[in-house]
Amino acid sequence: MALIAVFLISLSSLAFEVLLTRVFAINQWNHLSFMVIGIALLGFAAGGTWLSLLDAKGGRWEQRLSAEPSMAVIVVLYVFSTIFAFLSLNALPLDYFRLPLEPIQGIYLLLAFVILTLPFFFAGMWLAVAFAAFPAKTGSVYFASMAGSACGAALPALLLPLWEEGRLIVITALVPLVVIPPAIYRKPAAASEPAIVSRSHHRFIAAASVLILIAGGLLLRPGSRHWLSVEPSPYKSLSQALRLPDTHVTRTHQDIAARIDEIASPYIRFAPGLSLKYRGALPEQRAVFRDGDSRLVLYEDLNTETADFARYTLSYAGYHLVPAPAEVLIVQGDGGVAVACALASGAGSITLVEKNPVVAARLAAQYPLSVYAGNFREYLQRFDRQFDVIHVENWGTSLAGSAALDQHYDFTRDSFARYLAHLKTGGVLILSRNLQLPPSDSLRMWATAYQALADLGVDRPGAHLLMLRNWDTYTLIVFRSSPPAGSADISEFIEERNFDLVYSEPVQRHQVNRYAVYDQPFYHIEIMRLYQAFQTEQTDLLLKDYPLDIAVQSDNRPFPSRFIKWHRLPQLYQSTGSRLYYLLMSGEVVVAVVLAEAIAVSMLLLGLPALVIRKKYRPLTAGRFFYFLSVGAGFMFIELFFIKQFVLVFGHPTVSFTVAAAGMLIFSAIGGLLSQRLPAPALPASIVLLVVFLALTMVFCHGLLIRITDGSMMWKVAASLALLAPSAVMAGIPFAAGMRTLLQQPVNRTQAWTANGCASILASIVSVQVALTLGISFIMLAAIGFYIIALVCSYGNRGGLLLRLSR
Amino acid sequence: MMRSFPISLPVVIAVFAAAFASAQEADRHLAGRLEMVRGQIEDRGISDNRVLEAMRKVPRHLFVPENLRSRAYNDGPLPIGEGQTISQPYIVALMTQSLGLTPADSVLEIGTGSGYQAAVLAEVAGQVFTVEIKEALHHRSNRILHSRYPENVHTRLGDGYYGWQQQAPFDAIMITAAVDHIPPPLIGQLKEGGRLILPLGNPFSYQNLVLVTRQNDETTVKQITGVLFVPLTGFALTRGK
Repeated sequence: MALIAVFLISLSSLAFEVLLTRVFAINQWNHLSFMVIGIALLGFAAGGTWLSLLDAKGGRWEQRLSAEPSMAVIVVLYVFSTIFAFLSLNALPLDYFRLPLEPIQGIYLLLAFVILTLPFFFAGMWLAVAFAAFPAKTGSVYFASMAGSACGAALPALLLPLWEEGRLIVITALVPLVVIPPAIYRKPAAASEPAIVSRSHHRFIAAASVLILIAGGLLLRPGSRHWLSVEPSPYKSLSQALRLPDTHVTRTHQDIAARIDEIASPYIRFAPGLSLKYRGALPEQRAVFRDGDSRLVLYEDLNTETADFARYTLSYAGYHLVPAPAEVLIVQGDGGVAVACALASGAGSITLVEKNPVVAARLAAQYPLSVYAGNFREYLQRFDRQFDVIHVENWGTSLAGSAALDQHYDFTRDSFARYLAHLKTGGVLILSRNLQLPPSDSLRMWATAYQALADLGVDRPGAHLLMLRNWDTYTLIVFRSSPPAGSADISEFIEERNFDLVYSEPVQRHQVNRYAVYDQPFYHIEIMRLYQAFQTEQTDLLLKDYPLDIAVQSDNRPFPSRFIKWHRLPQLYQSTGSRLYYLLMSGEVVVAVVLAEAIAVSMLLLGLPALVIRKKYRPLTAGRFFYFLSVGAGFMFIELFFIKQFVLVFGHPTVSFTVAAAGMLIFSAIGGLLSQRLPAPALPASIVLLVVFLALTMVFCHGLLIRITDGSMMWKVAASLALLAPSAVMAGIPFAAGMRTLLQQPVNRTQAWTANGCASILASIVSVQVALTLGISFIMLAAIGFYIIALVCSYGNRGGLLLRLSR
Repeated sequence: MMRSFPISLPVVIAVFAAAFASAQEADRHLAGRLEMVRGQIEDRGISDNRVLEAMRKVPRHLFVPENLRSRAYNDGPLPIGEGQTISQPYIVALMTQSLGLTPADSVLEIGTGSGYQAAVLAEVAGQVFTVEIKEALHHRSNRILHSRYPENVHTRLGDGYYGWQQQAPFDAIMITAAVDHIPPPLIGQLKEGGRLILPLGNPFSYQNLVLVTRQNDETTVKQITGVLFVPLTGFALTRGK
């Protein structure tokens, strides 16, 4: 029964964790959903700390707590706290934007953290009890925990299309209650320890379970939807749009990748980059929102005539240079104006590539065009076609910094090489983006295109580039082969529509900073500095000097919206008017704040028993402590390495998370079972083998993943799992085997559990910064480093190899 | 007479106390306002006396939610509900100054919001026409604007995209709502030589202001930088080394 409870609680808590990331992604911003991992691990570790404190009272607590009625109490507390946590979070008037303005918001935030930690605390407590009470079955407990977690990670992906986030949280929270009837009504073994509750209290446990079931049933009935409904932040574009009169949601679909809402409104008018010379009207539009933001508009009755407005947009410049293109490929992000441009140009064949299958289906229903559901690299790999125009439409965020953590492969040097490889002779690549001040995104995109052309062996890459802007957007045009013959044509286009040139070769200075006038031509100046740096091979120096990180992004570091340089932060702070709240909108700064908090909390969790219990405290030896700390960090680094690598294959971080987390958990569960048969002396050898697997994975993973991107979904999942299986199986051994062979006291096992949990929290946060600054492969390098530390610590009974050497 | 004394005395004391507290609060707000104009607006280079006077005169605290009144004169935007904000005082002053208004000018504001910007415009320009599409915001701002400026502020609930054709043409137009393009009908409602201003970026982090001028049916756009960001180029770039 104990193992079933471990399995079900693990399943339920992991499902809650995944669903919470969806809730945060909708009702706050994406980078806040990242904090959920920290909250969950914090709760798990706190459960271990609580048991360490309990040890001071003596009295075989592990036997008393592992008795079935005690288990029933923990399960009831877990289920209740999960539902309570979600309802409280939904009802709490927490407004992230008001945080620097209203002190009460700090209390709301703290309250949200504490309440959300509770379910994970109870889940962690039961897992730690199981590890402490059944040392001989450590491998089985580990297997039940990991297998349950794997199912919990996969469950939302399967069930979200059927039930929305709130309902699914309640349903998965109720699941562990199935262990209650056998736990309280089964006759205890004669020799078993008394539980923390007497059998006369069983009816209260039963009553509590029934009450929770009734409350759950009431919440799930159709009439109580508002209790469970997850509303987007009032600052997101969907919320803003829904405040307009006569505006309503016409359909909603949710799955593990995103919630998609479509709205109808007479007030949607989208035309970024529209010339001030345009005096006509825009076609009627509908809009589709992903997670309440990232708007994609659908123009009604769009054809060559109704799309005429698009001829006055900045993006149309590329089509102006390649009139009536025979074949156009649109890589669709947010926006929607690219379709209008292509139609207005009289293109022969237009193919749209859209990552989200639901949005792709909607686009296919709206326009009589060929629509491919998947990422563009998969499309280009699968269909080896050449195009006259490839138009990448992705305007980027309006909230600077909020997309800093977003992993995007559309704008890496590797992707630019693929775009260019699929252009016909004379073909152009068009990029449409929002302008940012200080110049950052535009510089990075220009440099990426320049670098990709240089990689292709193009003689004068600068001559193949053209950048235009209006007052709030820019368009970068990249020519695959020879520079355009008709530069006079583009001058005419610019003049007629009052656009400005940012870069061309030769530079037409009289067309720079002419219609949308800055005090100085900032964008032109900075791109020319970049150009000069490329010419004189001093790019590294310029990138080092520039106050923002504008380095070209690669598949190993695919974060095109990340610009912060930490050592220049004071300068950025001053330049943004010394406003703390502005910096707090950056995902990267949030990561740093969360890391500082996690370090403080981890130190508290690890040090609290020593402070409170003092004389009776029986701590882990330094060697054992660092062993479990390293194993926890190493495991989390491996998992995050695969999560980040798989985004390239699956195109969406949540899908990638589901596959990688489920795979890691299920295969490491197998590793845990295998560890049961592992003799203690073989533990170091298993870690050496793991390190070898990790090193091989680090070297070959990216190359192998690129080869599977064009396969079917089933093939991609199977191949990804096969890729992580050897490392995951071996990564399952050190913790389970260490618990069994290195520790004797139950309290030491709870301490090891806490150390493991704290290391996991810190690793999950640090890995984000490692990927942002150094690249994804360095996450695996960190994992290797920690397992080598674990290897050193695994020798001997007391202090590990280092201690023995020092003696 | 003597018998009613014990009852009426506390009432009189309470009335005096309330009046005293109210006067004290008014003094505190006035002091905050004067300090705001000196420290946040004048020091940052706003020099138009009429704009400065308007900023000293308009009680900003009346336009923000009650729970945020103590922060009304702080150097930042404030949320006013409905996912909207009241702009930072400096932005209000800068946008108003940038329009170069005279007492004879008529101004169209798109996006009334809290009504504070319209109130400041009313102190500087002749006639102010302001349009808000969100009903709750319209009713809230309408109450206070009509009580303070019954003669020269005209409010309307409706779609600002098409301007206010019946009152056009305007000497100046101010867009305070987020837009990805300048609505073509608004350009058409600008007088010859008229100015249109709008902020770029998120209300919490404006990066730039855009001033459009219409002249001989041609439009020029001037980017007023330094609203929030100091462009990190040229001097700023070398200074950071």
